[in-house]
Amino acid sequence: MFTPSRIVFLPVAALAAAQPVQAMVYLSLEQAQELMFPRQTLTPAPLALSAAEIAAVERETGTRYFAGALRAWKGADGYFFADAVIGKHDLIRYAVGLTLEGKVRQVEILEYREAYGGEVRNAAWRSQFIGRAHGDPVQLGHDIRNVSGATLSCQHVTDGIRRLLAVYAIAIAAR
Amino acid sequence: MPLQSPRVERRDAGHASVRRARPLLGTRVEIGAAASVSAAELHRAVDAAFATIDRIERLMSYHDPESELSRLNREAAARPQRVHRDTGAVVRAALEFASLSGGAFDPCVAPWLEDWGLLPRHGGPRPAHDASWRDVEILDESHVRFRRPLRLDLGGIAKGYAVDQAVQVLKQSGARSILVNAGGDLRVAGEQGETIAVRSPQEPAFIVRTLVLHEAALATSSACYSRRRVAGVEVSALLDPASRAPYLGGASVSVRAADCTTADALTKIVLFAEPRTAERALTAFRAQALVLQADSA
Repeated sequence: MFTPSRIVFLPVAALAAAQPVQAMVYLSLEQAQELMFPRQTLTPAPLALSAAEIAAVERETGTRYFAGALRAWKGADGYFFADAVIGKHDLIRYAVGLTLEGKVRQVEILEYREAYGGEVRNAAWRSQFIGRAHGDPVQLGHDIRNVSGATLSCQHVTDGIRRLLAVYAIAIAAR
Repeated sequence: MPLQSPRVERRDAGHASVRRARPLLGTRVEIGAAASVSAAELHRAVDAAFATIDRIERLMSYHDPESELSRLNREAAARPQRVHRDTGAVVRAALEFASLSGGAFDPCVAPWLEDWGLLPRHGGPRPAHDASWRDVEILDESHVRFRRPLRLDLGGIAKGYAVDQAVQVLKQSGARSILVNAGGDLRVAGEQGETIAVRSPQEPAFIVRTLVLHEAALATSSACYSRRRVAGVEVSALLDPASRAPYLGGASVSVRAADCTTADALTKIVLFAEPRTAERALTAFRAQALVLQADSA
């Protein structure tokens, strides 16, 4: 008796392939602030680092520091940071909540954008998403919501958090 | 159709739908849920689900020298080690999958992955050359012992387990329409089906298959991103336990099963077991596999 196999083999070359790009907004900046510091007023904390301070951050973390993506706010019981990082094929905006002592208490991804055509290397493309003012409408219109297979790691976010903590130590805690 | 995590979180009184993501388990973990509660309450339930995933990562991470798993690798050959319930459950599941697959699923091949720089080398007794998963013993539900020094690695199953636990937390909170996706290992629960897009294994920009999941889990394994050259040799994180050779093919294996722990483990069994063994395992768990075969690089 023939028992049908439970394994389906599909040669990829024979399949029609679509190239939609995954783009997902999870939280706005304000929603993330409200989640991490409910009902608190957050006031912007300027992060003007001197050249020496930037060099110290880069040395300590082994990453490059680009002014413009990282922003900080102070609330009654902690700090709120928003940052953006790019990987080989993606851009991730994320937020980190710190305690008043500078310990990480929450991390949320705000937005995830894929770009397989090398767009991440294009400053004009990046600037659509980085440093965007509150409430700007977001261009979306892509169809894939859930993906499986060949997923990229989040190492650049982990590195970004490490860098942000070094910036906190130098630009906020030490001052 | 615009794709957006709803910026408006309340559609009508006491009905909320959210979708959030955090960097966990080395990847982006997404949680989506809907419930007949306020947005604030639903967010708290999602917080709890993320916290569970974080807790599981702290227990079972091979990368973290302070994890419970790392403690086992350092101490369990010397004396039985008490473990949390979750760790015990995952170790037990790993051993069961190893046993039913004749070792095609093998949680004890980390020394080779360490050699290739794919896993960190922490301190501890040198693994015995002929140690295997058969040397891992579970004593009275909450203790684990190794008969010989070895390196236990739960990376082939822990992600699926974390997804299942997060789904449980959300179910207990009363959420419907639950989705948890940990870097492509995912599970869907609730009334509605979810459409899942499966990437081409070697051209991840392209989606080559979509399927609808309803009350089920899907896990995908491929060597796509772990493949690299080490000391002049091509390696990947998918190691064939029988030959000790890295999988370098261009295929991906996706398994649909009732839960994500099972789906996760079965992808390795489909990759490395004899076809008859793989079929038997899939049948036993009422699972199906989809193998996307790209041209080999």
